[in-house]
Amino acid sequence: MKQWLTNFLTHRRDLVQSLIVLAILFTFAVIFSPRTRGEYTYNLFGLSCTVEHWPIFLKIENLTDLLRANSPVAIIALGMTFVILTGGIDLSVGSTIALSAVVCATLLVEQQTSMATAMIASMVAGGLVGLVNGGLIALLRIQPFIITLATMIGIRGLARLVVNNEQIGLVGGQSDSAIHFAHIMSQKSVVIGAFLLLAIAFGLLLWGTVLGRYVRAMGDNARAAQYAGLPTRRVLAAVYTLTGLLAGVAGVFTCARTNNGNPNEGIAAELSVIAVVVIGGTSLAGGRGSVTGTVIGALVIAILTNILGLNNVDANVQSMIMALVIILAVVAQTISLGAVTRWWRQWRGSTTN
Amino acid sequence: MQRGLITAAVLAVSLCLVGCGKTESGNAPAGASGEQAAKYLVIFSQCNNAEPYRAEQNKQFAAAFARYPQVVFVITDGQADAAKQISQIENAIQRQPDLLIVAPLERNSLTAVMGKAMEAGIPTICLERDIAQPNYTTFISCDNVEIGRMAGRFIVEQLTKKNGSPKGRVVELTGMKGVKAAGDRHDGAYEILDKYPEIETVFSGTGNWFQNEAMTRMEEAYNATEGRIDVVYGHNDPMAYGAYLVVKEKNPELAKQVIFVGVDGLPDEGQEYVRKGYLSATFIYPLCVDKAVEVGMKILEDKDFKPKTTYILPSAAVTPETLAAKTD
Repeated sequence: MKQWLTNFLTHRRDLVQSLIVLAILFTFAVIFSPRTRGEYTYNLFGLSCTVEHWPIFLKIENLTDLLRANSPVAIIALGMTFVILTGGIDLSVGSTIALSAVVCATLLVEQQTSMATAMIASMVAGGLVGLVNGGLIALLRIQPFIITLATMIGIRGLARLVVNNEQIGLVGGQSDSAIHFAHIMSQKSVVIGAFLLLAIAFGLLLWGTVLGRYVRAMGDNARAAQYAGLPTRRVLAAVYTLTGLLAGVAGVFTCARTNNGNPNEGIAAELSVIAVVVIGGTSLAGGRGSVTGTVIGALVIAILTNILGLNNVDANVQSMIMALVIILAVVAQTISLGAVTRWWRQWRGSTTN
Repeated sequence: MQRGLITAAVLAVSLCLVGCGKTESGNAPAGASGEQAAKYLVIFSQCNNAEPYRAEQNKQFAAAFARYPQVVFVITDGQADAAKQISQIENAIQRQPDLLIVAPLERNSLTAVMGKAMEAGIPTICLERDIAQPNYTTFISCDNVEIGRMAGRFIVEQLTKKNGSPKGRVVELTGMKGVKAAGDRHDGAYEILDKYPEIETVFSGTGNWFQNEAMTRMEEAYNATEGRIDVVYGHNDPMAYGAYLVVKEKNPELAKQVIFVGVDGLPDEGQEYVRKGYLSATFIYPLCVDKAVEVGMKILEDKDFKPKTTYILPSAAVTPETLAAKTD
């Protein structure tokens, strides 16, 4: 056990540092949270306990609220981690959310399809966008930034075209499956559960499979990976397709949550997704990063947004604090603990001598 | 070689797309007889088709001008890009339309090009957003501050009914910071609400006009106040509706008591939410279409007609009562 802990602390320094940032933020959130006015009773796994003036931040209802609200972005961030590990980027995910949401709403309300058909079609639509991204990047060897910038613009247009610039309300029509869909797919257990399952799946994919190793290798040194005979084109196609698929999943959840297929959904969402991945310690240069880090990054953003919101901090100040935390979180990962101790010893040495 | 083939294929496909993507839709029948019948060309420079309010505006414009066979009506889409809208208006001027209608994206950037249209002798109607200089024949608009005041008065009235006197706890969900409409809708409402010290704003969050973001803000508001809320004032209907969904999920009983107020009142959006009982009221932000068509047709057909420089259209409250009165 001790051996494992030492190993973890020395070899996964980036994760340890992300965890420290998360723990500090969590403590801050608890301290600065407004308190309940009366008593609050916890009901967890049959155990109940009553406390007075409990921090609202720690109420189960609030914690699950913040997890659900941030799940769509966090789900896409899982795929984006793979993309960024290969040294790429995917700017089209925000537009893909919109495409998936409008496809889902259109099928449910106007075509009166079943819930499963609409959901599968939306995810497939997302996956196809990803496949186009990955295919073009792999075949034409054009920078991912350019290809996904183009699809970001084009897919937004397609999403708006599908619904003729209008929004499709799920409750407005006479479709039972639409109402059913909105009810089930916006449940906290479903949304948060989906995120957890996907996080585990993508964690295993990166940690324990050949694809995961190829992804890391390509990010470390793309040319070497190619010369070593890795199927780089197929790997690229796979990671972008997976990310598109996850954006499709996020679109389905967003559609259910808002009861609405809105072609303007997810504008600038790609930036939130990238922020989550970067705070999680994944390097934009590729090669270095992990799914666990991304989950931590998602929690950092979620907790920060929530505690600022609970205190009703001005929106513009919120943006500035968010910027500060992004920079601090990334700086915290680049500082090496060894360097700090060395510096400390030197400083002590120089003062005692 | 391979790359060349792919480029050629992409080019071919995009050319096909251009071909079938042409959206300029004159409503006069095609062919020689149609061209003879159409005496007037009306170009509408819309700043951004991809907003529900503007999509509805386009739809109603097309329907209204379809009643006049002598008019060919064309819409251009500025796609929320001022430079694009400017060049589209420049193109429009080259076509010498008999009437130009502009819904400007931004007041400062569109002023000069609308001046060029006026210089070219094209009657120009400026819709809904004012520009920096009066480079228009007439300006048709609605006052967001007044809409805010109407919402404020409605909130006071409802709180008095609910709590016996004008007191209560208000959550405000604002539009995008730095956008004039959001500032005006806030200022108007608080001009009224600030007169009542017992009306307290317990939370003011920014939903950026989006239902999705407003829902997260509403969750924070609900948790922070532990559900002690009397009124939610959303700067548009989707945000007010999102707030309703959040409160309904957390406490269905409370959702029936909270007064949800929205703005915009589009027929199949805000008005529908009021009809379904989700919102207590919405305040119509007029599409300005009927007035623009009325004034526009007079400019086209009556050479002696002198339009007023500005027409400020009144808003109207949509409540369950007004909806019931309409159907009676």
